[in-house]
Amino acid sequence: MRVPLHAMATVTLLALTQLLGSCMGPMPRPIGPLNSRLEALGANREPSLSGRWLALISGRGGREQVMLLDLVNQQAQFLSGLNRADAQPLSVSIDAAGEKIALVRQLEGRTELVLYRRSLQSLQPIAMVPDGVPKAVQLQADGRQLAVQVSRNGIWQVDLVQIP
Amino acid sequence: MAALLLPASIMLLAGCGSGAWFTRRSAGPAGGLAEVSRQEPALSGQGRLLASVVERSSGTTLLLQEQPSGRVVNLRHFQRHQPHSSPSLSWNGRYVAALVQQGSQRVPLIEDRLSGSLHRLTLPADHTPLRLSLSPEAGRLAVQVVQNGQSRVRLFDLAGLLEPDRPGGIAIQGGGPGVPP
Repeated sequence: MRVPLHAMATVTLLALTQLLGSCMGPMPRPIGPLNSRLEALGANREPSLSGRWLALISGRGGREQVMLLDLVNQQAQFLSGLNRADAQPLSVSIDAAGEKIALVRQLEGRTELVLYRRSLQSLQPIAMVPDGVPKAVQLQADGRQLAVQVSRNGIWQVDLVQIP
Repeated sequence: MAALLLPASIMLLAGCGSGAWFTRRSAGPAGGLAEVSRQEPALSGQGRLLASVVERSSGTTLLLQEQPSGRVVNLRHFQRHQPHSSPSLSWNGRYVAALVQQGSQRVPLIEDRLSGSLHRLTLPADHTPLRLSLSPEAGRLAVQVVQNGQSRVRLFDLAGLLEPDRPGGIAIQGGGPGVPP
């Protein structure tokens, strides 16, 4: 019995793929339950992982908001005073303690950087000095400093801001 | 007198409210290029390392620098496959994750600066990755992908693949095995 050439090629390719896979060692594995939870939220973007927390921007009903997920118990956390119906979140970042959230957002025609403290439910604007337009922010995991991408005179720059 | 004091008080409060207490500085020159455009900053857990992407003749390239000195740290596996985007660092900067271009595909890579090894995340063909976030202890990776025109975040477990990079761990000098510091 003759085996078709393309069938042999397919089997050989699969065998090679398996062999390569085993040579490459362990691979990153999708986290099924959490991915299902994220899928249920609808469209989402701008993930920020730190400690047991995942902050991201999630769209619901055509409106986007910052969402904080506790990865241990898979529960969304209430962020009182952070999300506004008239604000468009652009970039978000959280520290490892889950206490500070840095956010770049558009509000009333302006783009601003704000720092939210969960324990206080307080929101503090951080001005760009010299003047500039923030685009992306990242909090370092210990929460003591953030890096922000700022547009000044047509050039993207990075500012480092110490957080008291 | 009250008319003078009131505006001054408002200015002071406005200054406090907009972050007058924050100490700021520029991340400085991007590897000797003063006026280069620098984007997508990512700090290690304690801020000792800053990753960003800068425009080079070879394309948008990942740049890793010590802070506050600005000394450039060479990477073994991020010399090619530009454009690079969305860098992310672990606590002590042992692991550097970013997106690179391999052929027609955007691919998430993680470089282990201690061992010199490289880890590539294989995604389904219909997933186009846009952004990465590596958890500081390197236990998880979040990937923003576009699938059927929809933006989604997918989480991957790295336990068993990467050793944890915990706070207080040893900072790695230079670019790891085979890379001049």
